[in-house]
This record gives sequence, structure tokens and C-alpha cells, in this order.
Amino acid sequence: MLQGTLDLMVLQTLDTMGPQHGYGIARRIEQISEEALKLNEGTVYASLMRLLQRRWISASWGTSENNRRARFYGITKAGRRQLTAETENWERIAAVMARLLRGAEHH
Amino acid sequence: MWSRLVALLSRLRFALVRRRVDEEAQRELKAHLDLLIDRYVGLGMTLDDARNAARRQLGNSLLVREEIHNMNGVRWFEEFCRDIRVAIRQLRVSPGFTALAAITLALGIGANSAIFALVDAALLRPLPFPDPDRLVMVWERTARFPRGVVSSRDFDDWQTRNRSFDVMAGVFNYARRLSTPDGTVEQIPAQQVTPRFFDLLGARFVVGRTFLPSDVAVPPNVVILSEGLWRDRFGGDPAVVGQTIQLDAQPFTVVGVVAANFQGIPPARLWTVWAELPGMDARAVRFMRVIGRLKPSVPLTTAQSDLERVAAELAREYPATNKETSVTVDPLRDALVGRDIQSTSMLFLGVVGFVLLMCCVNVANLLLARTAGRARELAVRAALGAGRSRIVRLLLTESVVLAAIGGVLGLVVGVVILRIAPSVIPQDFLPPVVVLSFDVRVAWFCALIAFAVGIVFGVAPAWQATGTSVVEVLTSEGRGTTKAGGRLRSLLVIGEVATAVLLLCGAGLLLRTLVALGSVDAGYRANDLLTVQPSLDYGAPTAMFGSEDALRQFLERTEREVTSLPGVDSAGWGTSLPLAGFSPLPVEIVGDQAESSGRGVLADRQLVSSGYLPTLGVPILAGRGFTEEDTANSPPVCIISEALAQQHFGGRDPIGMRLSVPQLHLGPTRPVVREIVGVAANVRRDLGEVDESRSIYVPIAQNPWSFVLLLVKPAHGRAEWLAPAVRAAVARVDRRVPLAQATLDDVMRTFTTAPRFRAMMVTTFAALALVLAMVGVFGVLAYSVQQRRREFGVRIALGASTASVLRLVLASAGRLIGTGALVGLVLAAVFAQSISTFLFGVRPLDPLTFAGVMAVLGATATIASAIPALRASQVDPVVAFRND
Repeated sequence: MLQGTLDLMVLQTLDTMGPQHGYGIARRIEQISEEALKLNEGTVYASLMRLLQRRWISASWGTSENNRRARFYGITKAGRRQLTAETENWERIAAVMARLLRGAEHH
Repeated sequence: MWSRLVALLSRLRFALVRRRVDEEAQRELKAHLDLLIDRYVGLGMTLDDARNAARRQLGNSLLVREEIHNMNGVRWFEEFCRDIRVAIRQLRVSPGFTALAAITLALGIGANSAIFALVDAALLRPLPFPDPDRLVMVWERTARFPRGVVSSRDFDDWQTRNRSFDVMAGVFNYARRLSTPDGTVEQIPAQQVTPRFFDLLGARFVVGRTFLPSDVAVPPNVVILSEGLWRDRFGGDPAVVGQTIQLDAQPFTVVGVVAANFQGIPPARLWTVWAELPGMDARAVRFMRVIGRLKPSVPLTTAQSDLERVAAELAREYPATNKETSVTVDPLRDALVGRDIQSTSMLFLGVVGFVLLMCCVNVANLLLARTAGRARELAVRAALGAGRSRIVRLLLTESVVLAAIGGVLGLVVGVVILRIAPSVIPQDFLPPVVVLSFDVRVAWFCALIAFAVGIVFGVAPAWQATGTSVVEVLTSEGRGTTKAGGRLRSLLVIGEVATAVLLLCGAGLLLRTLVALGSVDAGYRANDLLTVQPSLDYGAPTAMFGSEDALRQFLERTEREVTSLPGVDSAGWGTSLPLAGFSPLPVEIVGDQAESSGRGVLADRQLVSSGYLPTLGVPILAGRGFTEEDTANSPPVCIISEALAQQHFGGRDPIGMRLSVPQLHLGPTRPVVREIVGVAANVRRDLGEVDESRSIYVPIAQNPWSFVLLLVKPAHGRAEWLAPAVRAAVARVDRRVPLAQATLDDVMRTFTTAPRFRAMMVTTFAALALVLAMVGVFGVLAYSVQQRRREFGVRIALGASTASVLRLVLASAGRLIGTGALVGLVLAAVFAQSISTFLFGVRPLDPLTFAGVMAVLGATATIASAIPALRASQVDPVVAFRND
């Protein structure tokens, strides 16, 4: 899977679901992708580190639902801006790709 | 761009705590794995199956950790940190070397920081006024005096006729006596100013207001206090505004208090408004210092030519007073700081910069020797794949770390120097605007030179270390040093010796100047006199005495009272002291058309009592001295100095001839024809290159004046012991008079303050430079003897005598020092011209100084090279056959 895609999915997840720990993010992505994306779940943490470095998300330690200490991640203002920009970008590329591929079929 | 920067910064942030970040990642992955296992167990798997499934789903957690680890690294930063650690380890291995190098650098950097503080204060720091670049000082220029004070009428005309100034203001010092309700009188440094003085300088008022044009009045009746005086004497009470205080026994209304950060020009504690006195010849009496604020973006040169135009108009309109006068416009900073201080501080900075350079060279030498010893280590590093730039970086990091340590210590040295500076710098050497302080600018300067120094002395070893072939070093059994390194070190030492010679020559010239100044024969014989200066009102008659007669009586009674004191030999009033400056005044020889109309006779006129010349010890060479018979009612007389007699009377006997001498008077000056009754020995009026001692002495009884000094000569003992008795005697005559006292020696010493301080500083630095150079010579010789031990061993084994080995080492020392000395002398000959303005009584190319420097160098060089030479001659021949 593309690195940037995973980052975007993580951001989107945090935006819609609010603060989450890594496990929760992995579950959410698993759920909405209907297991179409076979995920090497550990890579979520590399993605989270990348996003932390850019200050698009923030992290804090808390307690998970089963009373384990877990790190919760939340999207920041800058992250939300980035998400909007990336989403638009993504939709544009997706549309172009769709047109291009459909054109190829017709040919 | 911005988010990249943020990312880089947080990468650096994470890099610093990378171990913790990794632990956290590990913990998170473990927790994630546990949750997955729980989930699969919940779905009905066995624990083992659940574990396997969970691991598969999570993937390789080690790879993730590594990815995170790499993500948080910055390669150069890591290498930099590692280099610093290596450098610190290296420095700790040899504490002696580190301490020596760090202290050397600390001295150099500290001295430079302190001198920079002086340069900063004198040249760089903006004046404490708004828009200081637009502030100027305007002087009256004549052919003889490029910078003179200004008459109030000329000031008025400059102000109204110029086109390039926003505002102009006049100011002059005028000490005031402040009376307090308990009857005591305190003398306060004060100034009279024109109304817009405070606006011009952008002063802020704590309470009250600035002066207004409507405040001009005769006599003046309003006053502005400084915040300091307001707090000290009026308890900081805002209600003081509007109150009346007594100054010089006259009532003044306080209108404002100016904030403490305002500095007068020079600092004063209270200000009154200047007003022209009725009856004074206001265009002829010059006393004001004029400052101005240029209109925005008007250059100084424009203002200069603008005022020159005005001055030319005035010269045409008032030829009697303004003929051949023009103006000089200076930046206010230059005028306040003084060119002498500016050039002196630059001289110091240059000298101390050379000293720093020598500190660098010595440390570079130490490093070179060490790097040569580490050739093997570096070769191994290179063989293991470290690139040339990597090794250079390693070595440079070491030197920068060393410099940083030196810099921190240097900061401490600088602070200490500046802390003790006020007790070393002579009083009155620095004008009040020059305030030495260790501030952020100095700290920055210190950090900057420490870094530059680290690079400068690190480059040589790094260059040397990487220039050698790896194979050569690794196969040479670690015996040899590199030839190139030796040559480089020799060159550095030659440079050091040359610099030391240069500085020693400078110091020698300044010391000779000091000796010349000290041995100037001012012409008077007295050696220990008390000088007492009463604060009477400027001019006569005065508010204090009411009439010229009262003033005359005060002077006569005081002189008589003091002379009759036990322990006093003699006493006398005078208007100035020897060396106080030559103020030329045109006089005419009555009945001598040729002399008067031709070259004109210029002489310094002094008003003296009958006791003055005998007290000062100035012999009368012909005729008579003044006596008590020379009174206001007796025929006007004068005494002239020998120089005046010789220059203008061409061999004729001046006794009995008559001079027309202007009276010293505030109003229009009227000349008085005086008969010359005596010729006195010459007394120097200034310390110029030309002996200027043309003087005319006039009995003060015939021209009373209140700006006077009383000289008191003790019959026995020290002059200063007389001070209490003299003060009491003056108080018996008039107890309202505040007195300032000093000894003649104190006063004379102030004339040589600047040269003495310059000579002391430069000599100190030159001595430091000499020591550094000799340490350098010693280091290079000792090291080369150490390296050539085997060679000396062989020589001695083959029968070389002690003397011949000694000769061998001393010859190489001689070559180094001789070459350095030669280069230094050439440099000194070039640079000596640049300090010629600081010299007196000695030519820049003074052979005696240069020879003296060579002698000092020879003596110290012998000491520096004797020890290595002796060590070489005592090498045990056995070392020749041992392999270490």
C-alpha cells in the first residue's frame, strides 16, 4: 500500500472518530476497507510517527477500554487543514484516474 | 517549506529522546499485540493460534521500530554529537594540554571582549537619544581652532537662517549653589540651556514640563531638575513642581523633572534657561556649545555647507567679531566621545586582536604537535573508510569544542576585567557617555570570536593531518613526524615573534612618549602646591559680591588670611595653571606700528595676585614682580614672559615699554595701556610640539575676576595637609563659598592621563605577546628536540660534543627568532606611522626604541631556547638504539 495513502487514512480516521489509540485506528481501517486492504498493522505506528513529526496529530498517554495504558492520538488544527487539502487532491487524482481508466476500457 | 521546517525541528526534538521514543513504540506494539490476541481468543481460538494470528496481522514489529528509529534521526546531527563526545574524550585524556590551551584562549578572548566593550561604547552603540543619527554638534571654526564655542548672537542667527536643521540648542556648564532650608549650600553640576534643548534630545519628563520660549527671562527664574537630584534632595515629591527653590541666593520656580535615563551634555543635575545679560557684548563673548537635530535625510555635508553660508553672511555683517570665522559640524557622538578616545580604543582593539591571534597560534602549535602524535589513529580511521572531510570535521569539532571552553572562560575573564576596569582606568579618561558594561552585544562578540578562533587554530592541524599518506604513516613505525607539520609550526612561530616585536615597538614608543611628557619642563619650580578653587559666580561684578570692589576685597583678604596661616610659605591667586592651554589674545605694543599691524602680537593673558609667581616658583628675570602696591588705583602694569619679550621686542629692553591689553570683562572689552615692569621666566601653556609660553601677567587687583584658583605653598610638609586650615581660613573671610581642592601634581597628572593609560595598556599587551611568543618558541624547540632525540643520540654516540649539540639547537632557534624579529621590525616601521598622533617627543622610527626591543627579545629568547638546547645536549646515546 502507498505510504501517503495510509497517512491519509489515519488522518481521516482520527478526524471522524476523535482521539484513538493505534489498535483502534487499525480496527477502523480494517472495518471500512472491508479487508480489501490487507494491512501489516504495525505500519500504523510508523505512520503515526510521521504525522506526529509534522504536528498534524498529537499524542497523549491514557487508559484504554480494557484498562490498559495506551497512547491516544488526536488530529490537530494543522492536521485538519492538511486533510482537507489532501482530500481535494486525492479526489482530483481519483477523478483523473477514473476518466483515464474508463477511456482505456472504451478503446 | 514551513511544515518541512517544523518536521526537521521535531525530528531533532525526537532525536534527542530517541531511546524513550523507541521504548514507547515497543510498549505500544506489545499492547496492540495483546489486544489482537484477546480478540482472537474471544473469537474462540486457542491461545497459541491466537498468538500466531495476532503476530501475522501485526507484522514485523522490529522493522516498524527500526523505521521509526531512522525516521527520528538526522545523520549529520548524530555525527556531530558523536564528534563532540569524541572531542571531549580526547580533551579529557590530556588535561594538562586542555587546561593550557583553554586558559590561553580564555585570556585572549576575555581581553578582546573587554576591549570590544570599550569600542562598542565609544564607537558603535547608539547614543541614548531618539534618532541619534540626526544629532550633530556645531562649532565655530577659525584658522587656529577648528572647534570652538559659540556666541549666543551667532547661535540665534544660525538658528533662524539655516535650512537644514529641525531644531538647534545651546548649552553651557554653569555650576549652581543650591541652598537648603537648614542654611547649607551645595554646589550642583548644572547647565544653562536654550529653551528647546530638551525637545531636541527627546527627553522624557517624570513630572512637569520642558522649557518654553516664554521662560526666557532676566534674571532667569525657572529650573528643571534631574530625577536623581529630585529624589536625593526633594524626596521624589511630585508637588515640587511649582515650588520655589534658592539657587545662588536667587528664587527659581521648578517647572519639571527630567527622567533619569536622560543624560545632559555632559551630565548635569539641574538646568536653567539662558538669557542674555544686559550690557554684555553678546556677539563677542563665546561660551555656548551648540547641538542640532538635522531634518530627516539631510546629510551632514549639506548641513555643513548650509551653515558655512550663514557664517559667511555673519562675517560680512559683523566683521569686528566674525571676520574669518566659519563652522564645523560633527556627529554628536564624535563630539561627545572625542576622537582621542575613539582612536585609542581602536588602537587597543588592534593590539589585543594581535594578542588573540598569538593565543590562537600557540594553541594551534600545541594541537599540531598533538595531531602529529595522533597520525596513526587518524590513518587507521582513514583506512577504515573515513573520508577526508569526515576527518577534517572530527578535528575541527575538537578545536571548536576547545574554543567553546576557552570562550566560556573568556566570558568570565571579560566580566572580571570590566568589573575591575573602573579602578584601573584613570578618572576623566572616559567621557560620561562612554559607559563600559558587559551586555548581550559583548557576549555575542565573545561567542563569535570563540567560534572563529576555533576554526582558525583548528584548520592548520586538520590540514596537516589529512595531507599525509595513510600507507606512509602506518608503515613508519610511528617514529617520524611529518616534515610539512614542522615547517608549518616554524612559520607560525616566526609570525608570533614578528607580532611580539611589532607590539613591543609600539609599547616602546608610547613609553618613550610618557617619559618625554614626564620630563617636560613646564618652567615653574614649585613641586608641591595646594590649589583651591572657590565657586564664585562667573565674571565680575557678581550676584555674590555685588561689586568689583567687594570681589577684590574677598581676594585680598583671603590671600592675606591664608598666607598668615602657620605652615604656609606663600599663596597667590591666578586665573589658570601651567599647561592649561594657550588662549591667544591679540595685544598691541604701544607706539610700535610695525609689530602691531604686521604679524600681530598674540599672548595668553593671566590675571594674578602678587603672590602667584613667587608661589609657583617662576623667577623674575628682569625688572620687578608684582607687589601689594599694584592696586586698582596705581598705574596699570604688566609682566611679560621671556618668550614674548624675545619674539616681539627683538633684543630691545621691554621694561618701561607699554602694551595695550584688553581687560577680561563680560561687557564690551576695553583695552588698557599697561607698562611692562618685569620679564618672567617662561611657563609652558600647553603640551604641543612647539613650546608655547607667550604670556602676559596682569595684577588681578587691576582686573578683578572671579574664576580663579588660589595656589598655596607649604613651608614644610605636604601641601594636602594644609587643606583643612585653608578651607577654614576661606570660611572666615566668607562662609558662603564652596571650595574644590587638589594638589598641583594631581592637576598636572590629568594632562598626561591619556598617554599614561595608553602606554600602560599597550605595554601590558606587548608583554603578554612576548610571553606568548616565547612559549611558542619554547614549544617548537622542545617538540623538535623530542622528535630528534634519536638523531642527537646518534650524534653524541659518534662523538659530538655537548657544545656542538647546543649550537645545533640554538642555531635553529636563532633562525626562527631572527627571521621573526626582522619581519617584526619591518612591520613596526610601517605601523609606527599610524600611531604618530599618540607620540610626543619621539619620532615614529626611533632607533633607541627599536634597539631596546631587540635587546628585550634577545634576552627572553635566550631563556626560552636554553632549556630545550640543554635537554638536547644531555640525550642519552642509548636512545639511538632503542625502539620506542
